[in-house]
Amino acid sequence: MPRTLIVVLGFLLSGLVGLGAYFLPLFQTAATASAVPRGLPNLNPIQPPSQPFTVLLLGSDDDSKFVPDQLNTQSMILLRVDPATKQATMLSIPRDLWVQLPNQGMGKISWAYRTGGPQGAVDAVQSTFKVHIDDYVWIGLNGLVKLIDRLGGVNLQVTNPVMDDYYPADLNASEDPYGYYRVAVLPGATHMDGVHALQYVRSRHGDVRGDFARSERQQQLLLAIKAEASHLNLTDLPALASAFNGEIKTSMGLDRLRSLLTIANEFNGPNVHRVVLVPPYTSEGYAGDQSVVFPDWNRILPLVHQSFP
Amino acid sequence: MRWAIGVGLVAAMLAFGVGVYEAAGLLRANQHTVHRPSEVSAPSLPGTMYVVQAGAIYRFQHGSFQQITSESGWMQPSTAPDGQLVAVRRQGNYSDLYLLSSSGKTTSQLSHNASTRAVEDNHWTFYPRFSPDGQSLFYDFDPKDAFSSYRIDLAIFVSPMTPGSRAQEFTNPNDYTGGDVQPVPMRDGSLIYTKFSIDDSFQVHSQVWIQRRAGSEGAALTSADAGCGQPAVSPDEKLIAMVCTKGSSQSAELDVASLDTSNLTLGSPATLVSGRMVASPSFSPDGKTIAFLAPDSPGGHFQLWTVGSSGPASVRQITSDLALDSSSAPVWING
Repeated sequence: MPRTLIVVLGFLLSGLVGLGAYFLPLFQTAATASAVPRGLPNLNPIQPPSQPFTVLLLGSDDDSKFVPDQLNTQSMILLRVDPATKQATMLSIPRDLWVQLPNQGMGKISWAYRTGGPQGAVDAVQSTFKVHIDDYVWIGLNGLVKLIDRLGGVNLQVTNPVMDDYYPADLNASEDPYGYYRVAVLPGATHMDGVHALQYVRSRHGDVRGDFARSERQQQLLLAIKAEASHLNLTDLPALASAFNGEIKTSMGLDRLRSLLTIANEFNGPNVHRVVLVPPYTSEGYAGDQSVVFPDWNRILPLVHQSFP
Repeated sequence: MRWAIGVGLVAAMLAFGVGVYEAAGLLRANQHTVHRPSEVSAPSLPGTMYVVQAGAIYRFQHGSFQQITSESGWMQPSTAPDGQLVAVRRQGNYSDLYLLSSSGKTTSQLSHNASTRAVEDNHWTFYPRFSPDGQSLFYDFDPKDAFSSYRIDLAIFVSPMTPGSRAQEFTNPNDYTGGDVQPVPMRDGSLIYTKFSIDDSFQVHSQVWIQRRAGSEGAALTSADAGCGQPAVSPDEKLIAMVCTKGSSQSAELDVASLDTSNLTLGSPATLVSGRMVASPSFSPDGKTIAFLAPDSPGGHFQLWTVGSSGPASVRQITSDLALDSSSAPVWING
């Protein structure tokens, strides 16, 4: 082999090792995800997605009060993105929605994740809402905090004061997981770090809308995260991935993540349709001793199928 | 010689690998850089202004910022009699009101909201504002509900500054909305503030409200659909500036309207700033300019801006790399 070729190959190999080291956190995150992304990231320019797709976004309280493999979902948001029409829909599913869980009987839809993991949640939503889900993303409490902090914070328009005297002090494992502290999020436009953004979307005690208010704020936070993430590129992903350390699980491949970044700027407030299943789509009540939310499927399914055909 | 060349090439290859690693890092999206106000200069504005960043109050004069308190939870300063300031100091589970000298020295603590009993026995106070005659202090407080430990709605209270007088609840907030906030006391004793309501379809509405006296029902100055709040009144009380969302959760515009307190009406609002997340407007001492806070890029930190109160053509960015507290309206005074 000519010496020149050996030298060129040496530099090439060295460059690839440097590149590999930079993207190593991505591969490590892939290894801890419940479904390994499909293959290595493609560093070449990629085509943005052209077909509509649906993602189920899941959030859980994963503090030390809970057994790691037996978490409920505190947040379920069905997201439909249509790149061709540049329209997106976010549908928040009440965590206490009383539904027929696949192979289990009646239960809260938030229980599906506890018994069946992410796929259990996907199955429950697919069977009850009669929709097809392409991918899921699950995130824990610390994962959300780290994500927002890595993005440099988010800007949110706080609609009304969010006051809570019993906000759980469960983010740090060293603290009493049943402890609590007071939260006061003041109204108006504000810049929030991860901890404060989590307080904003997690608190529910002081609002007449209870969990519905939380759902609305969670959708608002997603839009704010999207606004921040639209500035990112492939080289930002390793720093994000290293922050998660098992706090995020997804069935989405890296290529799909990359392609989503390419269209993120095209989806702004006016073309993102937000749906929260408030009354009359749902009604609060009791099933046995459980406080639940009863669905009115005759109203819900036509609404859902307008946006999730 | 051949060995030396080999070692040199291997070293160059290693350096190249490290270079590729570093170069990849340089391609990352720019994070927003933040400086302390005292580290930067800015275009000079007439008079003196107080702003807040990271729990510290800064005085802005002649184009430079001077830190006048430590970074220890200070927020929402406002003018007080005798050239003093009144401000909130927020700690973990409570906040208190303090009087400060113009140089930031604490002269007295006006409230004592900390509790050593249960967490929920602590109290909040926010948004202190002296009446124009300096005789009364209006502020937000969270009275406890004897029948529901979950209901925490801020109400606006008024405390006469005479010794021995008691605080009085001035407004009656709608239940489970978070309460009434951002009081602006007027010369005739009435109060303008932001009131929240939640309708049967669970939509939150924010309205600029006016009340003639403590406990009265009051009247809305803006429609529920406009989503207006954060009122600021010009020194001559003829103009009101406010932040209106008009249903958007991602932007808020700065509107200004004429104010008729005798008939409890506003003129048709004019939009001075739109397409931004505007917060906390405040009039200049001559009423001709409005200072406000807003990010200069999506997701960015809040910066100081000004705009002429008579038209939108004069929007001017004063700072560019600060992280100002958007819940603390700039205090703009003569001198």
